[in-house]
Amino acid sequence: MRYRSFLHQRYQAVFGYAGLIFMIAGLAILSPLLALLAYPEEANLAWGFLLPGLGLSIIGGLLWKGLAPKEGVTLSLQEGSVIVVMAWLAAVLFGTVPFLLIGGLNFTQAMFESTSGWTTTGLSVVDVTQTSQLILLYRSIMELFGGAGLAIITLSAIAGPIGASLSSAEGRSEQIAPNVQRSAKLVLIIYSGLCAVGTVALRLSGVGWFDAINHSFAALSTGGFSTRTDSIGYWDSPYVEAVTIVLMLFGGLNFVTIYLLLTGEIKSVIRNGQVRLQAVLIPITAVIIFFSTAVLGLYPTMGKTVRVALFESITALTTTGFSTVGYGDWNSLPWLMMIVLMLIGGGAGSTAGGIKQLRVYILYRTLLAEAKRMIMPRGAIQETEIWQGDQRRFLPAADIRPVALFVFLYLIAFFIGTAIMAGHGYPLQECLFEYASTLGTVGLSIGITGADAPVGVLWTQIVGMFLGRLEFFTVFVGVSCFLRDMRSLTQKQAVAKTTVKARQPSS
Amino acid sequence: MVSNLIGGNSSASKYIVVIGCGRLGSLLAGRLSAEGNSVVVIDQKESAFENLSSEFSGFQIVGDASEMATLKKAKLDKADCLLVVTREDNVNLMVAQIGRIFFETPVVLARVFDPAREAIYREFDIDTISPTQLSADSFMQKLNTHQVSTSAPTEGVA
Repeated sequence: MRYRSFLHQRYQAVFGYAGLIFMIAGLAILSPLLALLAYPEEANLAWGFLLPGLGLSIIGGLLWKGLAPKEGVTLSLQEGSVIVVMAWLAAVLFGTVPFLLIGGLNFTQAMFESTSGWTTTGLSVVDVTQTSQLILLYRSIMELFGGAGLAIITLSAIAGPIGASLSSAEGRSEQIAPNVQRSAKLVLIIYSGLCAVGTVALRLSGVGWFDAINHSFAALSTGGFSTRTDSIGYWDSPYVEAVTIVLMLFGGLNFVTIYLLLTGEIKSVIRNGQVRLQAVLIPITAVIIFFSTAVLGLYPTMGKTVRVALFESITALTTTGFSTVGYGDWNSLPWLMMIVLMLIGGGAGSTAGGIKQLRVYILYRTLLAEAKRMIMPRGAIQETEIWQGDQRRFLPAADIRPVALFVFLYLIAFFIGTAIMAGHGYPLQECLFEYASTLGTVGLSIGITGADAPVGVLWTQIVGMFLGRLEFFTVFVGVSCFLRDMRSLTQKQAVAKTTVKARQPSS
Repeated sequence: MVSNLIGGNSSASKYIVVIGCGRLGSLLAGRLSAEGNSVVVIDQKESAFENLSSEFSGFQIVGDASEMATLKKAKLDKADCLLVVTREDNVNLMVAQIGRIFFETPVVLARVFDPAREAIYREFDIDTISPTQLSADSFMQKLNTHQVSTSAPTEGVA
């Protein structure tokens, strides 16, 4: 009984905090309505956003006002996971409503588009030439909020103790400042500052205001929804591509690294393992793409080929998913390189997805250390060090295990997803590419994803994007803790009732 | 000022460095962090950080606090407050002094076990808390109240 009342109390706090995130997600759904100032002719579509936006905000507000503890409660990592999973599911579900009401999609397609938006994937089943400006902006705003992370935005809004569990559950365990709330605020300041700068830079390079806003949001959140069918390729301009590349690189950088970069601590940035890994991967892939497309003579000029090679490597590694060309006519080697980059993904603690460069770097360093250990005398002691932020860390064996397990799990999910797609009759090469893009929340597509894709494929991708964004473990922990606690809450209740009933006749 | 910093609900977030993450250090760090302050904890052993509660959301630094490099890494020059609570009196005195003189930290608080050393700390203008002194005081207090309460009924009978 005591355990039940304890659980009851904890879940009151869990639902209370989840309510606050609901409220913020609701506001995000409402925010495209600001565009009505510029496009008053679309006012008749406003109800499609008002309904889910206000609905989610009101539900969230009531939960927060009614259940959240007044003096603040510190949440454990498990409770943080429950909140994060709950909030993301609610955001995705309510996020489908505008697509259903005014976007003309069916439920599976709406679910796909909404998941793709919040998880900053950028795979799309919407025909961007047919749809309204409001829906276009709405897709970019979903990516903007999903990229920063719903929990991070919420954390910066709460005063009072809550602990670091929410941000860790969303995959942002590294902090800029020695306090979660301050750290969350700094992240948001950097993020929105970069968005503003990005918008202006894109405008200056010759993109219209509406497209500049959308592409700046989608590039920094490493989302990749575009307002044009040909994505960035529509402009075919070196300036637009250069600005987008810089924005994507910022999107794929860890927020701590961006902070160090902005505060001028270049030395710490250069020492960072993720930056080094990126500095090796991008040129290698770009060179491979360059030569293999140049051999085929796919692009008219040398300059264009260089631009394509650079842009496509960066869009894949940062998991953004903008593109300037199609990949149908490439040969196998550059395809493979793109798949590898999409699997590796961006920096840990950035807006990007994938396995994350930090994990790959840790495993690489461990491999080197292990190889060295085999050569050295039995008693020799060595420690693997990595630079994280401005600090040097040694890697104990206990830190390597979850990393290795994560990579294993990621590859299993990759294999299963590819298998399901291949089962629908697509060629293996395309399945590998498309599912690497889905799981890494990249958004590059070679044509499998579309409004006419089979329902089974779309749902496989929905699950993949969700698991990929929340990094598997959070979803598993959140769901299993919730089920376990709900069972013990209801079971105990049943037991209590039966004992009461059993006592009644005897008395 | 000190009571306002720790006990009061001042909304301004402070930057606090805690040295030593034992039972006292971890407790202090957790509470200060829960109050919304920026907290950095330093300890020589990484295992010491297991003492921290989930309220703690600050930074942890593994290192010897008597080395300048470690203190610089903790950005002690920007700290509003330094709490030195390792179990070594001599280390506490030294680190507190470095904080006071070299980094010019506005508030320096140190734990000192040996009451006889408190005089030295006072000379260096460092606030101290002596658990030994505090327990002695409360022992005396408890003892006095006991004596009063046990002696009271006998007086009543007489």
